[in-house]
Order: sequence, then structure tokens, then C-alpha cells
Amino acid sequence: MISVTPSNLQAEALDLAHLSAEQTALEIRGLNLHYGSAQALYDISMKIPTNRVTAFIGPSGCGKSTLLRCINRMNDLVEICKVSGEIVLHDKNIYDKDVDVAALRRQVGMVFQRPNPFPKSIYENVVYGMRLQGVNDRRTLDEVVERSLKGAALWDEVKDRLNASAFGLSGGQQQRLVIARAIAIEPEVLLLDEPTSALDPISTLTIEELITELKNKYTVVIVTHNMQQAARVSDQTAFMYMGKLIEYADTNTLFTTPEQKQTEDYITGRYG
Amino acid sequence: MDKPTMSRHISGKFNEELEAVRNQVLSMGGLVEQQLRDSLHAIEKSDHDLAEQILRRDTKINALEVQIDEACVQIIAKRQPAASDLRLILAIFKTISDLERIGDEVERIAKVALESFNKDQQEFMVSLENLGQLVLTMLHGVLDAFARMDLDSAYEVHQMDAQADRQYEGLTRQLMTYMMEDPRSIPKVMNVLWSARSLERIGDRCQNIAEYIIFFVKGKDVRHVSAESMEQTVKGGRI
Repeated sequence: MISVTPSNLQAEALDLAHLSAEQTALEIRGLNLHYGSAQALYDISMKIPTNRVTAFIGPSGCGKSTLLRCINRMNDLVEICKVSGEIVLHDKNIYDKDVDVAALRRQVGMVFQRPNPFPKSIYENVVYGMRLQGVNDRRTLDEVVERSLKGAALWDEVKDRLNASAFGLSGGQQQRLVIARAIAIEPEVLLLDEPTSALDPISTLTIEELITELKNKYTVVIVTHNMQQAARVSDQTAFMYMGKLIEYADTNTLFTTPEQKQTEDYITGRYG
Repeated sequence: MDKPTMSRHISGKFNEELEAVRNQVLSMGGLVEQQLRDSLHAIEKSDHDLAEQILRRDTKINALEVQIDEACVQIIAKRQPAASDLRLILAIFKTISDLERIGDEVERIAKVALESFNKDQQEFMVSLENLGQLVLTMLHGVLDAFARMDLDSAYEVHQMDAQADRQYEGLTRQLMTYMMEDPRSIPKVMNVLWSARSLERIGDRCQNIAEYIIFFVKGKDVRHVSAESMEQTVKGGRI
């Protein structure tokens, strides 16, 4: 059992402003985003640490999902969307002109709110990304399937029916399948956009358990409406409001002694 | 950090629950304060009836503690309070346990009031009375600070404890001298000594409650910290 003393809690608390380069997976610098003439994100700057879970919380429309989508340039798909500022991954701004977006998305995987398996077998869902990359060697694919499904805590439940349709799985299993598909191509960063909002409480707990496992191998960024979930799974939490980053701190601190009144009002469920 | 406000939650029911539990703490505090005041009075006037009453009323304080505990457990289970709400619940949990203990100490004092003292012995009863009044002021002050969640008055009470400790030491010396001079008085004087000890303990518990108030307002645990660091917390912003 790990003893929790004030001193090792202190050591756990990350000083987010002073992360060194190797501790930082991603650095967002002065990010502004417009949808047409409407500005959705205002001058966001933050460092996202490696092998940690970072949660974005805030009321609907605060820009948390928009910010998450910026990290693998999903917003490029929205025509009227304009981004300025930088997101730095391995000393390279992902918005530079010479960045291969497909390669970026292999490095930065994403899981959405509703599980979206493809109308294929469980096996084919997991290896989809590998096949796109031209990998067809059966042995390699078998290994990837086993490793990914184990990584997504789904292997034991589906190992005997890998060729059955993915649609036969429950919602929670489908969401874990989608996570397995995302980690099959071994990304560095996993973006989770409200991954449990369509799931029942038990499946939610399974996914939360999985998230804490996932951070050992990946840097996880999660958007969630469920504040208790952010408090449970994340190491640091960013509170956003009206497109601005209001407070970004170690989760333990943010949920017990937030510095900003807006954060306090939001997490305690008060009128702003 | 801004001072946590008691502004309204979106959930009106949650507001009511928090308000209700706060009010219960205040009535428990009021009851304990009344008990202490009565016990000092009972000693001063050697009022045995009043002392008996005090002993009977303690069960009411115990019952309130259990009731408030239960209300807090319900709030935690149903509302999952965070930030200042969470700190309020924690402060309440700890405050009522200290209030209950103060009730027990008062009980001990009331038992002394059941004794009869001769004229000579009355002289150290005056010193006991002085200590009693100081501790009563502390208890009143800290309950008032709790009602308003007022940092400055909580800190003031916290500082008063040093004075209570000094008075207690002086009284102890006085009582020891008395016992050495007249060993036959030892059993009675010991009783007075125990009630002085109880008063001193009540002072410590008021100091604890002051610390919970500071914890609620500032979000910083000031138990077992140096006087300087405590002052810095109270006077400064967030450390």
C-alpha cells in the first residue's frame, strides 16, 4: 500500500509552468481559433505532460472539445475554421505547412463520445489502421490484435469471437474496441472526447480503470462533462470558460482549493 | 483566493441541505456555550441543582453530534461536494467532534460544582472563575467566527489560547502550594485541578475550531504549523 503523506502529495503535484522538455508531450502556445467571424478559443497556452492524464472541463460551448480537436487537426475538416498560434509536438509545430496530417493523426489518436466501430468483425476493426498502412502479414496482425485488445481490457471478453461482428458488442465493449483500434497503431497521444457519456455507470468505471492503465504507455487528454470523472481519472485538470483557459492545475488542488472564483463556482455547481 | 461565499447553488435542495446542517452546528454550539456558562455559574454559586441539570443536558449534545454526522454523510453520498463545499463539510465534521468533547469537559466541571468548598478554598475558586471566563470568551468568539466564517475573529481566538495556557499554569502552581500546605485538602483541590485542566482543554478545542475555519476560508491546513506560517496564511493570499 502506498502511504499518502503531505510530502509525497506535494511531490506528486506537478508544477505545470516549469515542466522540462522531456516531461512535456505537447505544448500549446498562444492558440486562437475562429469559426468564421466568431472566436471560439482565446490565446490558449498550456503544457501537457507525458504519460499523464489531462482533463479539460467546462460548461457546454466553452471550447474544450474544440481545443481537443486542434491537437490532431480535426478542425481542418471544418472549412470556416481558422487557427493561429502553435501546438508543438517533438519540437515541431503541428500547424506548419509541411506537416503530414495523416502521419500526425497516427501519432495522435482519437476516441469519440459515441462508440463508432466499423461494420466489420472485431478483428478487422482493430487492424483497420494497420491495413491502411499496408501491413497485411497475418502473424503481425494477430499480434497487434491481441496486444491492442489486451491494452483496451477487452481481450478476455472477445478472444473466442474475433470474427464476429463488432456490432454484437455492448456499448461499453464497443467503446473499448474503439480504444483498441486507436492504440493498435501505437500513437503517442490519445485524445478522448467524452468517451463515457453514452455509457452506463459500470461500463464507465471499466473505461476509467482503463484510462489509468493507458497513461503508462500514452499521454492521455480527456474532455468530460462529468466532473467527478475528471477528479477520478486525471492528474491535472484545465477549466475552460467562454473559450478561455481559466485555470490549469494539478487535479488534487483544483478540486479542493481552486484559485479562481469561476472555477470554484463551476465545480461546486453555483451560479457564475 | 477569494473568500468562499455562501452564494446559491444551482440545486436549491443542496443549498437547503447545507444551510440546515450549518444551522444545526450553530445550535449545537449555542447549547455547548450555554452548558459552559452554566457550569461556571454553578461553581461560583455552588448551585447543585444547576450542576445536575448540566449533567442531564449533555445527552442532547451527543444526540446532535450524531444527527449532524448523519446529515454530512448524506450530503457526501448524494452531492459529492467539491472545493469550498467539501471544505465546509470537513470543517463541520471536525468542529462537531470538538464541540462534543467540550461538552464532556463541561460535564467534568459540573461535577466539581457538586462539591462543597470552605471559605479558604474559595480563594482559588476565583482564579478558576477567571480562567473560565476567558475560555467562555474564546468559545463564544469561535462560534461567532464559525457563523460568519470570519477569518480575523478565528485567528484572534487562536491567539487567545496562549493566555489561557498561562492562566492555567499560574492556577496549577497556586493549587500545588495549597496542597503542600494542607495535605488534607488534596482530594478537593485535585477536583479543582481537574476542572482547571478541563477549561484549558476547552481552550485548545476552541483553537482547533479556529483552525478549521481558517482551513475552510483559505483552503490551507494550519494545524501543527509555526506561528509565522500561520500568520502568513491568515494575513496573506494563497501560499
